[in-house]
Amino acid sequence: MRRLALPIAAAALVALLALIAVTARGPAQPQTRAEAGAAIAAELRCPDCQSLSVADSHTPSAVEIRRQIDTLLSGGASPDAVRQHFVDRYGEWILLAPRSPLAWALPFLAILVGAVLLLAWLRPWQRAEPVAVEQPAAPDAELRRVRDEAEALDA
Amino acid sequence: MRNLRWLLVPIVVVPLTLLLFHGFGRDPREVPSPLIGKPAPSFSLVALDGAKVTGEGLRGRPYVLNFWASWCVPACVDEQPVLIEAARRYGSQVQIVGVLYNDSPDAAHAFLDRYGDGGWPQLTDTGGRLAVEYGVTGPPESYFVDAAGIVRAKQFGPLTLAAMDQRFGALLSARANR
Repeated sequence: MRRLALPIAAAALVALLALIAVTARGPAQPQTRAEAGAAIAAELRCPDCQSLSVADSHTPSAVEIRRQIDTLLSGGASPDAVRQHFVDRYGEWILLAPRSPLAWALPFLAILVGAVLLLAWLRPWQRAEPVAVEQPAAPDAELRRVRDEAEALDA
Repeated sequence: MRNLRWLLVPIVVVPLTLLLFHGFGRDPREVPSPLIGKPAPSFSLVALDGAKVTGEGLRGRPYVLNFWASWCVPACVDEQPVLIEAARRYGSQVQIVGVLYNDSPDAAHAFLDRYGDGGWPQLTDTGGRLAVEYGVTGPPESYFVDAAGIVRAKQFGPLTLAAMDQRFGALLSARANR
């Protein structure tokens, strides 16, 4: 089993690196204008629905936003410029995923702060000196008697 | 280390309580408009009575663009007498402009017959293009524009007379001071 440890660790490392590489590369870039438009629509909140993206809704606002996305893209606007076009009208509220890096980092920061607080709280117990317990010394005669009785039972 | 527990109250409990108090006290749909302080989006639309109305044509006095719909009950129904009273109170000093939001002219006519027609233009925003230009998330929603064509305020939800007095009062006094 110990001989296998190194190959398994190496294989796990390779798998992890591959996963990181694939994640970092992100989804395949959309090829056509329609695909690019659909990708942007999926990132925008439908203004007059509950928890739906523009891509998933058929309300007049969603239809109009999809039309504007297509018009802007065919006019040569970049996906970022198209997103900004709607942020300029609705505010960042229109984006389904927040742009601020702080929003993504905050949960991890909270976990970190919590872990630090927990550790600081637990450490006094960990470092506590073991309390010496006084062992009553068993008299030799008593010990011998018990041993003899046990041996007599075994016999 | 014992005093750390007392620190927990000011550094964790108090901010968390304030955050929740702030968060639950507001409507998540009530988003501040990025248009405030910017030129009002230009448009050219046809009113229910057939007249053509343009954003440029409205300049020269403060106006309010009121996005509404006949299906928006009770908010738009509650708002209608407020708008009528404001139109009477301010007369030609200001302009009220209604914009139909995702509604048909027939339904709008029926609404105005039933709840009162103040006589201001009611624009048919086919396809909701103007609503998207203004970033409207649902009726009723109103945008106050000053005489120079700059968006000055957004009202989310039904207008009240107090809100109209405050907004129009500010726009009219700013104009008088110039």
